[in-house]
Amino acid sequence: MKPIVTFARWGNYTIAFKTLFDQLGLEVIPPELTNPQTIAEGVKVSPEMYCFPLKVTLGNVIPSLRKGANTVFMVQNIGGSCRQRYYGVVQEKVIKEAGYDINFLDFRATPKDIYSTIKKISGVSTWQILKAARFFFKKLNLIEKLEKIAQFYRPREIEKGITDRILSESFSEIEKVDKEKDFSKIKKEILKRFSQVQIEKNKKLPKIALIGEIYTVCDPTINYNIESKLGREEIEVHREMDITYHLKKLIFPWKDWIIQRKINPYLRSTVGGHGRDAIYEMLNYIKKDFDGIIHLLPFGCMPEVTVRPILQKIHQKSGIPFLSLSLDEQVAEAGINTRLEAFVDVVRNYHQRRKRSEASAA
Amino acid sequence: MTIGIPRALIYWKQPHFWEDFFEELGFKVLLSPPTNKEIVEMGVTASDPETCFAEKVFFGHLLWLDGKCDYIFTPRLKTNKEKLEYCPKFFALPDLSKMLVKTPILTETFDARKEKFEKTLGRFGRKLNKTPRETEEAAKVAFLKEKELKEKEKEDFLKEMEMKERKIVLVSHPYNLYDDYVNLGVKEKLEKLGAQSIFIDEVPIDEIRSSKSKIRNEGYPEFHWEFGKEIMEKIDRILNYGITGALEISSFQCGCDAVLKEFVEKKFKENKVPFLYLLIDEQTGEAGIQTRLEAFMDTI
Repeated sequence: MKPIVTFARWGNYTIAFKTLFDQLGLEVIPPELTNPQTIAEGVKVSPEMYCFPLKVTLGNVIPSLRKGANTVFMVQNIGGSCRQRYYGVVQEKVIKEAGYDINFLDFRATPKDIYSTIKKISGVSTWQILKAARFFFKKLNLIEKLEKIAQFYRPREIEKGITDRILSESFSEIEKVDKEKDFSKIKKEILKRFSQVQIEKNKKLPKIALIGEIYTVCDPTINYNIESKLGREEIEVHREMDITYHLKKLIFPWKDWIIQRKINPYLRSTVGGHGRDAIYEMLNYIKKDFDGIIHLLPFGCMPEVTVRPILQKIHQKSGIPFLSLSLDEQVAEAGINTRLEAFVDVVRNYHQRRKRSEASAA
Repeated sequence: MTIGIPRALIYWKQPHFWEDFFEELGFKVLLSPPTNKEIVEMGVTASDPETCFAEKVFFGHLLWLDGKCDYIFTPRLKTNKEKLEYCPKFFALPDLSKMLVKTPILTETFDARKEKFEKTLGRFGRKLNKTPRETEEAAKVAFLKEKELKEKEKEDFLKEMEMKERKIVLVSHPYNLYDDYVNLGVKEKLEKLGAQSIFIDEVPIDEIRSSKSKIRNEGYPEFHWEFGKEIMEKIDRILNYGITGALEISSFQCGCDAVLKEFVEKKFKENKVPFLYLLIDEQTGEAGIQTRLEAFMDTI
């Protein structure tokens, strides 16, 4: 059986993952873009009580299985004690029960395990794997960089909606590049295009930070495009979570030690997933004078639900506006919009009040 | 000095052990009463709406104890003797408890990956101003009592298995099985319907198999949760005895059970044992459970 690969979708980073498999000489059918149909399809087959990302990723994978893919990649153990560890086993069981004959590759997120899985499935030389990995990181870095630029540009742009347009154009261009030597030229072009966007650079805007579970924070199709929604309301959005952040934490454990030291007054243990990081980030953003915190999580996410009372406590102590949004298949976009609008008003008031008190102090 | 112990969640992981331990050390122990409506309501209002029902009940017990004793004992259980993890929600219990009640929380981290249980107990004893010797003695007595209880349980189990009535296995966590208010008295209800219920907790496991055996587990992944491994092994064992039906009880929003249920259900289905899955939370009605149990009993 010749492997035709598909994998779990993850926001804009899916492009980089597709390149990785392409470069290894594997045939790839990329996962379907997340939309209400794919979510419904995933929900239909997955266990009812399981957390939302499992259902979403299943919904992304199943359409590509119908198109002929026969190998599914799933990484396990992203954050320690949480349910993500069992995504592989449960998804394999569920897909096989749905009648697909597939090869399910469930591997741990350690460099050694990743390397051996890739080596086994593709059969290419180590040199080629390294080359593919280098190209993958180049693309990933550019995607993450563009996301950060867009967060800054959106609220300041003069022609409304131009940033999002250029961003999606750039992503499709990045997706098309399949030779590493063409990449630097495309990169230059994209960055140049962004630099030509007219913005009001010195505008002082209220700032909101997104914290919480990494998948919901990073994937715009899951969190109802929260970044660009807030951007259009002239609010600068920040987030620390992305793949690089996560990979760095996997490779360098001392980041965890620093986090634990900072949050000791609130929580003295790990709770799995990125539970500790949420507290650390919130404290950090308060120190950096942010005007609001949005906490995103899949409904019933074990680590994030556990730390939420602590986040609320910090919110009460510091007075910073705080909104926690649990996402699942039953959440409607209209509901999210209403809550966001109300929250934006609170944030603006908070920002104004602080500006006034600063002015009177001076 | 009085030490309060909430009779919920982690208490049922080692029932009676902590009472015996503290009493032997010369403290007065105040155990919160069996779960009742008032306690559940207190817990539900105080805790995060999305957390599991079992944890809400725990916070209810905690609030009941608040102000009635000098310390409330809430250990941080991380890993058990076999170096398998407890539910991640247990990890943050002392921290969340501290935010909820005014009574100081007495806590100690039990992580067998780093340190043996007995050694941690010794350190904990020093915190309570007891000499290592005193702690050791107290622990010995408590362990002995625990062992006696286990022996008795085993005898009872063998006696029960000899009875002729239809046998239903209840699969769940100890904090759902032993708390009659939480599970709406499933045991009693089943008895009235003419079936005998066996708690999965009571099933003894072979000592040889439990101690890091290399036997490949069939049909389920290697769990890093202590209850996962334990429950699956016990199911394997009980299937040899010939049972008429199986019932799984989960508290609503229990993340671990979402994983476990898949494999428990598969196991029973493969062995052609009728299986019923019940979800419990603060809104579960008696009548609903009764109807479902009756229907289930009719099918077998």
